[in-house]
Amino acid sequence: MKRLNLSYEKKKGLYGYGFIALWFVGALMFFIVPLIKSFYYSFHVVTPETGYLDIKPLVDNLTGKTNIFLNYKNAFMTDPNFRQYLVEVLKDMALNLPVIVVFSLFVAIIINQKFRGRTFARAVFFLPVIIATGPVYAIITGDLDTGGNSEAAQFSTMFEADMVDQLLEFIGIYGFGTTFTEMLTEITSDILNLVWKCGIQIIIFLSALQGIPASAKEAAAIEGATSWEFFWKITLPYISPMILVNIVYTVIDAFTDPTNKVMERLLSVQNEWKYGYSAAMAWSYFGIILVALGIIFAIMNKLVWYDD
Amino acid sequence: MANIMAGNKGFSGIFKKKEKEPTLSEVKLTRKEKRERFKKRLECLTPEEQRYLKRKQLVEAVWPIFRGVIVFGLCFIILYPLIFMISSAFRPSSDMNDPTIMWIPKHLTLSNLKDVIKAMNFWETLGNTLVLNIGCSLVQVATCAVTGYGFARYQFKGKKILFFVVIMMILVPPQIILIPQYMFFRYFNPLWIYNAITGDYINLINTAVTMYLPALTANGLRAGLFIFLFRQSFRGLPKELEDAAALDGCSPFTAFIRVMVPNAGSTFLTVFLFSIVWYWNDYYVSTSFFTENETIALTLKNLSANIKVLVFGDANAQVNTREIIVWMESACLISILPILVLYICLQKNFTEGIARSGLTGM
Repeated sequence: MKRLNLSYEKKKGLYGYGFIALWFVGALMFFIVPLIKSFYYSFHVVTPETGYLDIKPLVDNLTGKTNIFLNYKNAFMTDPNFRQYLVEVLKDMALNLPVIVVFSLFVAIIINQKFRGRTFARAVFFLPVIIATGPVYAIITGDLDTGGNSEAAQFSTMFEADMVDQLLEFIGIYGFGTTFTEMLTEITSDILNLVWKCGIQIIIFLSALQGIPASAKEAAAIEGATSWEFFWKITLPYISPMILVNIVYTVIDAFTDPTNKVMERLLSVQNEWKYGYSAAMAWSYFGIILVALGIIFAIMNKLVWYDD
Repeated sequence: MANIMAGNKGFSGIFKKKEKEPTLSEVKLTRKEKRERFKKRLECLTPEEQRYLKRKQLVEAVWPIFRGVIVFGLCFIILYPLIFMISSAFRPSSDMNDPTIMWIPKHLTLSNLKDVIKAMNFWETLGNTLVLNIGCSLVQVATCAVTGYGFARYQFKGKKILFFVVIMMILVPPQIILIPQYMFFRYFNPLWIYNAITGDYINLINTAVTMYLPALTANGLRAGLFIFLFRQSFRGLPKELEDAAALDGCSPFTAFIRVMVPNAGSTFLTVFLFSIVWYWNDYYVSTSFFTENETIALTLKNLSANIKVLVFGDANAQVNTREIIVWMESACLISILPILVLYICLQKNFTEGIARSGLTGM
């Protein structure tokens, strides 16, 4: 037997393939092939038959010609809900994103200080991460459809407070432009419950805050910086990379959340056995989110300050 | 005599605490004295410095109160649903509409709990879930660690593209690939020759294989994120560790098991815990692979119909959500209790793992 004469580097490379081989096989079976298949489905009419999926080319009923983009066209032009849900999800994301990031930074700064009960507070703030992905969360927010009884009022046991209404009335503002107040209520109606979506972000900020070098703190203290100045001149630059990380995380988290409206619409289309159509919807949704992420990334990357 | 006295003095001196010179901050002063000292200090400073010190003093006095209120309030908002859960789980349904009852029910009852345990077939479901969760998580942690290590330490062709696939696994929502995956399991065709030989397919729907097989190939729930976490944590370890192992005659895989794994213990624990939690909570993926209520999450999702059968005798009974909420809440309570206990015991491992090994240093 002739021994293969390989350089050390090449040998190491082969070992690398060895380490990821198992994952690669799995990714091929459970990720890459399904991904390509669903992309292929999105250009066809797909209906399940016993034993196989029936895949036919798309035919436009009006012209009688095949039009492979018909699913996409239908999703955006004729579907009564899809476009509306899409706009809603994007709007929600745009409104919630700054709030979540600012809020989790605020909480992280507070928990980073030394006070009694800090460990407890930390445990509580991270608690939603444990619960919020499961059906328990869907039940306590009243999101889960209670078994065909759609007439029943959604019963949420989350903390609720019509803060803005009360606040505005307290100040004495009643009819201050309906759209404005509506928008405000929309933002604030569940602003308090955004705490439930901040667990991971708080932890990421917390570790970033602890990474600020002591020398920077000392220098600022000696120069007589107020805590306000300290925040803008020291804290913010040091944690800016983590702000980007948190934004990306928040966007992905919101967008893959199975309880958001686009996802629910997707599922209902799937339950009508229109696999091709649902694939087209899923892919256009995915595309839009990728573009959104790209834009955020491009803008933020310029604002981020790196230590070295 | 005098000698003895002196000796005595010296002897007792050992037991006496040495009195330290009190440092400036340790001296106990009355408020008045403090204020006077502060004034004296201010007198030697410029007006600008005076203003700075005064403001600092004010902030230091007010801020803790402010902070206490915020922290307490936010903790309350987060814990509110849980408190409500505990409060309503033990009260009879009739007490829900009693406006005089806020938190503490007038009549305590365990009947909700008993009903729910019966409706969920709780103990058997719990057993199933535990076996499935722990099994999948263990397998998934092992495979993801191996993969993460491969990406962290080795240079090979196509690594960038392959790692991009890992990132895509994090980004792509499971809904996109669910149908092809379902078809894969429904018409399972091992090695692509099973059908050619027997002319038939294997139906894996409703078997645990649908969960184990992806976990076994590092493609289970949120596997992309776990691979990413492992890669980050292995990259943080010094390369000299493996070089030393290689010099001592370890093969790369032995080096990985013997040297790297023990050094990344905390990451393993974190990933394992999160894996357990996410498998426990998952109802979205498993609902398409299990048509029967196999796990706690699935049972909980379909609970209201079962409760209606058990309590009101009809699955389609028009029951107000408010009436049924006590059962739902007690079901929630017993469903998250195991996870909650796990979290309370290992709270530090959850948070520290994310902070240390995790997304920092992207």
